[in-house]
Amino acid sequence: MKDISFSYERGKGRALKDISLNILEGTYVGIIGPNGCGKTSLLRHFDGLLIPDKGKVSVDGLNTRDAANLKKVRQLVGLVFQNPDNQIVGTTVEEDVSFGPGNLLLSPGEIRRNVERALEMVAMEKHAGRQPHTLSSGEKQLVAIAGVLAMNPRYIAFDEPTAYLDPSARKRVLAAMRKLHREGITVIHVTHHMDEITHADEVLVMEKGAIAGRGKPAEILSRIEWLKGLGLDTPPVTELLWRLKLMGADVRVEALTLQDACEQLYSVIEKGISGGSI
Amino acid sequence: MNIIGQYIPGDSVVHQLDPRVKIIATILLSVSILQGRVFGLTELTMFLLAVFAVGGFRLRDAINALRPIRFFLLLFFFLHLFFTPGETIQPLSWGAFSVTYQGLFKGTMVVWQFCLLIWSAAILTATTSPAAVVTALDRFLRPFGRIGLPHHDIATMVSIALRFFPVFLEEMGKIREAQEARGADFRGGSPLKRVKAASAILVPLLFSFMRRAESLAVAMEARAYSRGPRTFMEELRMRRVDYGALGVTLVVLAMPFVAGL
Repeated sequence: MKDISFSYERGKGRALKDISLNILEGTYVGIIGPNGCGKTSLLRHFDGLLIPDKGKVSVDGLNTRDAANLKKVRQLVGLVFQNPDNQIVGTTVEEDVSFGPGNLLLSPGEIRRNVERALEMVAMEKHAGRQPHTLSSGEKQLVAIAGVLAMNPRYIAFDEPTAYLDPSARKRVLAAMRKLHREGITVIHVTHHMDEITHADEVLVMEKGAIAGRGKPAEILSRIEWLKGLGLDTPPVTELLWRLKLMGADVRVEALTLQDACEQLYSVIEKGISGGSI
Repeated sequence: MNIIGQYIPGDSVVHQLDPRVKIIATILLSVSILQGRVFGLTELTMFLLAVFAVGGFRLRDAINALRPIRFFLLLFFFLHLFFTPGETIQPLSWGAFSVTYQGLFKGTMVVWQFCLLIWSAAILTATTSPAAVVTALDRFLRPFGRIGLPHHDIATMVSIALRFFPVFLEEMGKIREAQEARGADFRGGSPLKRVKAASAILVPLLFSFMRRAESLAVAMEARAYSRGPRTFMEELRMRRVDYGALGVTLVVLAMPFVAGL
């Protein structure tokens, strides 16, 4: 379990305000919010890249304020960033993936085992010898994920991991993230796209450095007007149901999947037919 | 496929040699190429072609490796051909310009030496992953660690430089295209004008790389990087084949001396 409770102050404006949250091991937590709401700052607190001015962040009981804990904290919490190019250090895929375990001073044999396992988890083992600049951006992002996995983290925080990717690469990366979650890794997923986190256990909505709302994805989606007010994207399916509802249709807005939406629409149409009017 | 300056993954004996052996052999070969005479160069040519073959390359690859510098080689050849004093070859004499026997010989030797230098460098870069080169560098610098040289940091820096060099070239091309699309002209003009035009590429490039450096530093820190010792996946261990390869190289290098040529 991971306890995080802190407030953070910098300069005049506070980037984050009295955030208190607890991320349970094994969960998939989505975080959405408009640009500049403090999502990235929040993530950087999770592994001690930023230390709160007030309050504390603790990971499995380790306080990030204590410099002696930082290596362990960074092993437990992995971060994956937006731009796949700017997080790859190595001249080949496997050298890059070995960077983290090398920093943890593992032996060459252990490093090799971790690297092989990590590359297999993201299905990139065939590309171990390739040079990063020859990879597609989706592949680079998978290598970045492997680089974190090779350190055996319990938690991985993704900072808009699909922002630089084309649609097919985006699908691949999202599938890899869900796979990691199934294998027991706690996933914290920051994104602009609500449709990427409809399967999350919990969704946090951030606004101006604070948590403006939290709940199950369906609960968050049902407040569509509020989400739109924050300038956030809503999935097209939700948008469709919402407009139908405004027009008087008897539907719930918070359909999470296309299948769910289809069933709702179908039942409305059926009722309409049997009642003699649509 | 041009093999010069590019790592071509493979599993030949040459690929698997300890990178330290390959680096040392390349340095020794380069020195003896520059010192070489006809016998030595003939022998080294055969040796390098044999190494190409063992490394899984074809003669065509070896010849392709020379392509980028072909004009340079021609220039060198003709400079020596015409400007070396000596005995004129009679039919090849036009007033001030005349071809001499000595020029023909010297031009041939210089071009030959250059070709061999390129080949030995090509073998090193084509069969050794940059990661292995960095590990070897770290190992070579380790003795200087005792006098305070931060050899791990240097190895990391070199690795990052090698990693981002292709990114740098690619980005330079993109910026150039973007500036040309907005009407910048990089061709022709006075030297001053050209310097000014180049700044339209260099300034955005510099800013872009400063941003990259910042993100990269954060990403490295997130992966538990800190200055000081690190461990590497590649374990450098000299095996029998490594000693063998080094031995063969030394024998090849010693041959001209033994033969007294």
